[in-house]
Amino acid sequence: MRRVMSVALVGLLAVGFLAGGTAAASKVKVVASLPDLKSLTEAVGGDLVDVDSLARGPQNAHDVEVRPSLMVKLRRADLLVRNGLGLDPWVGPLLLGAQNSHLFPGSPGYVDASVGVRVIAPTGPVDRSRGDVHPEGNPHYTLDPANAAQVTQNIIDGLKRVSPENAARFEEQRRAFLARLDEDMARWQKAMEPVRGGRVVTYHQTFDYFLNRFGLVFAGSVEDKPGIPPSPGHLATLIRLMKDEKIKVVAAEPWADQKAVELVARDSGARALVLASAVGAVKGTDTYAKMIDYNVNALAGALK
Amino acid sequence: MRKWMTGVFLLGAVLAAGPAQAQDAETLRKELDQMKKQFDDMKREYQKAIDQMSERLDRVESKPQQAATPPVPVTIAQVPPAPAPAAPSMPSAADLLRPREPYALYGAGGRGQLLFDVGVFGDFIGDFSDKSSTPFQPLATFPGQAQRFFPREVEVAIYGAVDPYARAYVIIEAGEEFDTTNRTSTFNVELAEAAVTLTALPWGFQDKLGLMRVRYGLLNEYHDHDLPQPDRPAVLVNFFGQEGLRESGNELSWVPDLPFYLQGIFGIFNGDNDLAFGSASFRNPLFTGRFRTFFDFGNFGALQIGASVAAGTTSQGLSDTILGFDAKYKFTPEGWRHPLLTIAGEGLQAWRFNQVTNTSFDPETGEELTTTTKQKTTPFGFYVYAEVQPFQRWLAGVRYDNSEYLQLSGRQWAVEPYIAFQPSDFLRFRLAYKHTQFLGAASANLGGPPGSQNINEILFQATFLLGAHPSHPF
Repeated sequence: MRRVMSVALVGLLAVGFLAGGTAAASKVKVVASLPDLKSLTEAVGGDLVDVDSLARGPQNAHDVEVRPSLMVKLRRADLLVRNGLGLDPWVGPLLLGAQNSHLFPGSPGYVDASVGVRVIAPTGPVDRSRGDVHPEGNPHYTLDPANAAQVTQNIIDGLKRVSPENAARFEEQRRAFLARLDEDMARWQKAMEPVRGGRVVTYHQTFDYFLNRFGLVFAGSVEDKPGIPPSPGHLATLIRLMKDEKIKVVAAEPWADQKAVELVARDSGARALVLASAVGAVKGTDTYAKMIDYNVNALAGALK
Repeated sequence: MRKWMTGVFLLGAVLAAGPAQAQDAETLRKELDQMKKQFDDMKREYQKAIDQMSERLDRVESKPQQAATPPVPVTIAQVPPAPAPAAPSMPSAADLLRPREPYALYGAGGRGQLLFDVGVFGDFIGDFSDKSSTPFQPLATFPGQAQRFFPREVEVAIYGAVDPYARAYVIIEAGEEFDTTNRTSTFNVELAEAAVTLTALPWGFQDKLGLMRVRYGLLNEYHDHDLPQPDRPAVLVNFFGQEGLRESGNELSWVPDLPFYLQGIFGIFNGDNDLAFGSASFRNPLFTGRFRTFFDFGNFGALQIGASVAAGTTSQGLSDTILGFDAKYKFTPEGWRHPLLTIAGEGLQAWRFNQVTNTSFDPETGEELTTTTKQKTTPFGFYVYAEVQPFQRWLAGVRYDNSEYLQLSGRQWAVEPYIAFQPSDFLRFRLAYKHTQFLGAASANLGGPPGSQNINEILFQATFLLGAHPSHPF
């Protein structure tokens, strides 16, 4: 047995030497928990960063599986940018499995992008009778483009910690990105102006920040409660409400139960829309600005 | 704000009280009246402002569709910064006395926030077999608890960061033990696990020390409520007991910086598991090792394979080595919240030496002779299961077990189809049918009737979780 152990130990050391031999690239390796954060990091990091995302665009960010292939990404990263607010709790076990000491909370390579963001807090007492509600607040804050200022500030704070020599470049790139986003924001607000006050039903409360930003009103959700699949009784009540209040649009994430969404749309006479719940969630939304663009155009068109 | 004002006022009054003794009482009374008046005015103004804001809030909430005022062009730079975190205020006596819900202990924010997370699990089992008579009791999946519904495991898990360099968790569990003779049940509370993991070690190393479920194979690390079926596979029970391989010691793990995932774990423990080892001392420690790697096939699923070893000394001072291989495949279609197909299995091979006492009689004197010899046994066992989950709430699967025993002769096999219903991520019900066949001397050795025997059982399981949303392990 000792011989087996010795062979195993020698094997491990050999792998270690091989691993140590891989040359470190000059770019800062960043892993973002969600595609929105990947896109924002790319926007402010430019060619100084190499960014990867743990969750994929069409995926439901609440339910990402703890796969060792994701641990490999974290093992090789210099910086982790996570969403926080309970949307990506799977980052914890992934960090433990990746065994990269630079990325744990409190380390220089750890960024919680939600710090300082104005969060939509839950009203009233919070417990599980209200479903998988997040006590820290609605975690889908990246869908409000106005939050990009605070989120990118958090990101470049992290980038400056791990790559202080490029601090000025990160600042400059962030300013340029926010200036472009300002121009986009003016355009988006103009496009949404005619439909302000429009009422929208969504599958999950993913788009609350987006709706608030553009003066739209959340009228109800297709799922019974956060994380609880829709029941027939709830759907019947929702359809009645939509008919009574003449709600024109039911918007859903790509991962939502599309059959339930289509049923609600058909029986209420509304239009079913698949919106981009994240960068890359639907075709043509491979950057942050394109994602917001897509959602603005889709909702402005449907609510007319 | 009002509390603060009141505090300032009271503080002022107290400070003023000292020198006041030496002053004219009338002057002081006037000053006091004036301060009271100022305070009342201030209070009225604040109340008015609060009422106005409440009215505005009510209007906005009750008529949201009318809230669409002409937009003011907003630029990203004009977005107001997030509010500064409020200064923590002391909880009142009423706050402290109010019972806190378990959920309120988890997560960030607010009064009552703890520096660690808490989860509470409850796992209840019903074991109903077709052969309920006393001789068959030892053959039940939960020996002695056939025809009963009982709390198998109620667990409180506390976990969090110790400091910037370590994380720790403590799991305390209680479960029923049923005395079949007196027909009474007792509940034992015990420390299930308590370990600290040093996360700040360099070069991809981590060190975990304490009392833990050893990272051996696929399922040994899992607590009962986390298992994919209501019961632990037979080979794990036959080789490590109902509790599995749970040991006190140290585990050093390493994930090298490679383009693919490879994890190596080396452990050294007391060897407290009395079924497999039993030396219970670092003088003859239990050594464990595990490698696992992972292949992600993108749209075609993912495969994890692993190999484990546990080598230690039995209570007789002889060696026991158990080698295990495991594999798990999962296919999750793009955009699905849950896997559609899971196939997994694990095989264990042991090389164990037992002391065998032989008795013979001297042909000349007729005297009884006792000789002790070392006998090598090589028991083997495995399980494999497949599970399909076409809907978020429903899944069905089947497990096949085939296993010999570590210390006994004989073999058993079982087939166990099951279905599960999960109303949410926090509640789950399972129903399984299990047919088990005991071959050779297995039944007699376990305390059941001699000869080949079989038993049919219906297993029902209800599991709940109070606390944070669980992550979904591969």
